[in-house]
Amino acid sequence: MERIFLKGLLIACAIGMSGCAAREFTAVAMTQPGDDQLTCAALKQQIADNSAAEAKFQSADKEVEQANVAKGIGSAIPYVGIAIAGSTDLSNEEQVKARALADRNQQLAYLAKQKGCPQ
Amino acid sequence: MTLGMNTGMKKPIAAIAMRVAALAMLAGLAACATAADPGAMTLAAPQTAAAPFPTPLLHAMCVRDVTGGEETNPLWVSKVDNAGFKAALSSSLDAAGLSAGSGTCAYPVDVHLLGLSQPALGFDLTVTSHVNYKVYDASGQPYALATIDAPYTATVGDAFIAVQRLKLANEGSIRTSIQMFFDKLRQNHPN
Repeated sequence: MERIFLKGLLIACAIGMSGCAAREFTAVAMTQPGDDQLTCAALKQQIADNSAAEAKFQSADKEVEQANVAKGIGSAIPYVGIAIAGSTDLSNEEQVKARALADRNQQLAYLAKQKGCPQ
Repeated sequence: MTLGMNTGMKKPIAAIAMRVAALAMLAGLAACATAADPGAMTLAAPQTAAAPFPTPLLHAMCVRDVTGGEETNPLWVSKVDNAGFKAALSSSLDAAGLSAGSGTCAYPVDVHLLGLSQPALGFDLTVTSHVNYKVYDASGQPYALATIDAPYTATVGDAFIAVQRLKLANEGSIRTSIQMFFDKLRQNHPN
């Protein structure tokens, strides 16, 4: 029993030492160089592409959330619980990317309106 | 070097050491999470002479809307909520001499907190906030749109308890984000 406990402790320490860092990424900027030069067709295409990508990220975000709930429950398991907790994904990468694309599209729609592009 | 212990003494000491280590770890994990403190997210007035803000922005800004924040579940991890972020940014605008008097806001700011990227475990905890700041002029046209990713690391030296350390990292990240937003505002072409 003591050996199992010691192993669990070592695993926990190893996780603590390595650090379960969040994935590094950057959000899509609302404005980008060259936006003013975009034609109506280019704006329309970008908006469509962003909307499709946003939907994928939203779906992936829900999957991550569900997995995190399961891991939260699993973290209560003695000895291995901390390792399960360490695998929880709190990076919010999918959420951030989906929201950033929505804001980007808002700006592109504003530019399209300024240019008098057809709806 | 030997400590002169016989094998009979080593075992109880090892058991005590393990118990102490386990208690220390539990102390690190068991505390309840609390929301980020607006005061700790507020940017103090610059001590050194920073570049000036564009004159039209002075005493002409206000925080109109903050979205995307999350309430903190005490059994989970510390988060940043909309009210806390709004209070921190409003106080930071005040300290920088940017806040408008009541009813005279010419440059409203909308904030969209896209999310916080937090680590699950670790000694040094780095949180990166992802925030969109949208500043509009009096006619409702965008004056400055800034997308800011701001990392901040809290160490064991800052707080031993992990949930407290994560809270400090959240607060530091938002403070850094506001600082970076102000730096953008100081530029002539903030976009």
